[in-house]
Amino acid sequence: MPGKRRAGAGRAIDRPPIRVMRNDGSVSAGALLDPVAADELFAAHVPIGASSGYMATLRGDWSALVATAREVSPAAIELSALDESELDGLLTFLRSWDGLPFRYVSVHAPSKARSLSDADLAAVLGALPPYVTAIVMHPDTLGDPAALRHLGGRLVLENMDRRKDDGRTADELSPFFATLPDAGLCFDIAHAASMDTDLDTAGGLLDSFGPRLRHVHLSSLDRSGAHVSLTQADAARFAPLLRRCADVPWILEAPPPS
Amino acid sequence: MDPRGATAELSALERLAASAGIEVPNLLAARERTATAMVERRRTLAESPIDEDVAVVVMGSWGRRELTSASDDDWLLLIDGPARAGVHPSPDEVGRVLPRAAGREGIFESVVDRDALTTRIGLARDTNESLTRRMLLLLESVPLVGPAAHHGVITALLETYLGAGVKDCQPPRFLLNDVIRYWRTVAVDFEGKDRDRAGAGWGLRNAKLRTSRKLLFAGGLLPVLECHSLRRTDMVDHLRARLALPPTDRVAQAFLDQGLADAGGRCLAAYDEFIALLDDTATRGRLSALGRADAATDETFARVRRIGRQVEQALLALLFETRAFAPLVRQYVVF
Repeated sequence: MPGKRRAGAGRAIDRPPIRVMRNDGSVSAGALLDPVAADELFAAHVPIGASSGYMATLRGDWSALVATAREVSPAAIELSALDESELDGLLTFLRSWDGLPFRYVSVHAPSKARSLSDADLAAVLGALPPYVTAIVMHPDTLGDPAALRHLGGRLVLENMDRRKDDGRTADELSPFFATLPDAGLCFDIAHAASMDTDLDTAGGLLDSFGPRLRHVHLSSLDRSGAHVSLTQADAARFAPLLRRCADVPWILEAPPPS
Repeated sequence: MDPRGATAELSALERLAASAGIEVPNLLAARERTATAMVERRRTLAESPIDEDVAVVVMGSWGRRELTSASDDDWLLLIDGPARAGVHPSPDEVGRVLPRAAGREGIFESVVDRDALTTRIGLARDTNESLTRRMLLLLESVPLVGPAAHHGVITALLETYLGAGVKDCQPPRFLLNDVIRYWRTVAVDFEGKDRDRAGAGWGLRNAKLRTSRKLLFAGGLLPVLECHSLRRTDMVDHLRARLALPPTDRVAQAFLDQGLADAGGRCLAAYDEFIALLDDTATRGRLSALGRADAATDETFARVRRIGRQVEQALLALLFETRAFAPLVRQYVVF
């Protein structure tokens, strides 16, 4: 139910959450503290995978990227072609396989150096092999979202961080989902957390688009907004929200925390 | 709405939907359709004499309360006692009320007695047919007439499983093993049917294996695992009460109990989408005609695969990422 706000974003836990009250008496949706230990949450979650996006030294060597991601987990992978110039190579590589050794295969579509129109890009993405389950797009890069409609349920829209102009909050994503009714949500928890310290934006995204959730992007952000390995503090902070995402793959956008 | 009219309270499915902010219009419509059809069939069956120890039970989509436009009439005549001749209503009379052909394996449209059901568990006397009948009676059966006889047989079956070696606060292993065996049998038989039928009907059977069959298995597994918190003497009542609910309610209740409303909502919203596909004549026909070789490039099947993945992922989270079930799954489900 887009736009509908449910009370208690952190409700989905084994034990009663500790509600944090604001001065005005309202409950902060994102600040419901979960007594479940973050370590326990991560240890239990099997469908974790790696994004090739953080493996900068291997960029373009898709076989090596797949092998490295496989060392992280055989559960899921996100092959990242953030720069449009990487897309041809990725397509050629993927077409040479009947399937990759992962349960869940996602492709991150270009969001930089775009020269193709949305319609032309959609045509290229539509040719990805059927074993690619999800195609991640940054909504703020779309001038004509309707051009991607034929990607149907394979298309997932990622929420953006505070530096962007659009696609950051539930309200900003609503028009995109209205245009793309079959699209799913890629919940980038670090992006959402950059919006406010109470994690209200993050909770609001799950409240509004939880039924669309397909996978999570998991990392912390440094001061410049770049993805870095998940910190202990963020792991604990994100735990109540991640508990609400227990059934979907969590894609690491930075090296796994040591 | 409970097709048995036992309660006007919200079902677990409806409570989960409200909690997760999802809608399940197709599942609720299917329940309504099943309830209406049951009233009609009961009225017709009541026009013939019915023996006190006999029940007419429906299974499959009827038992799951998921009737769609093309559902089969899967029924059995149940005797709460030993085998005998001259059962009323007769199979012919029931067949006239429930005429849509059931599956080809000879599981349904037969008379089955309590003794046969309770004394042939395991060893060579247990067959694919007896296992399937026994499990479908437990997991997805509803009496059209003869609720007392149905209650008697279900109780006898549960007491057989729980008769020996069951300890307080431990899932009953005999029943647990048979529920797991049944799911594995369904999965193995999928390949057997594919060979026997030279691939005919592969797409629809595969779609059901990914969704309905998996949910039915979970709907049996969860109540058995829930026995870990019960005294031995309370287990039969617990299982009988849980198994009387539609499988989707059992699964929904488990998601609610474990605080996984979001994942549970995605699971049952996906299944709701599948029920809509099944109820669409063209889509069902397309799936029925789909062969294994064409599945990889078929758009409808891609949708089924996504639905199946959502259902499975959520069930795996329920079983492996909750404090209640994860230790039990580790301790009891593999060995």
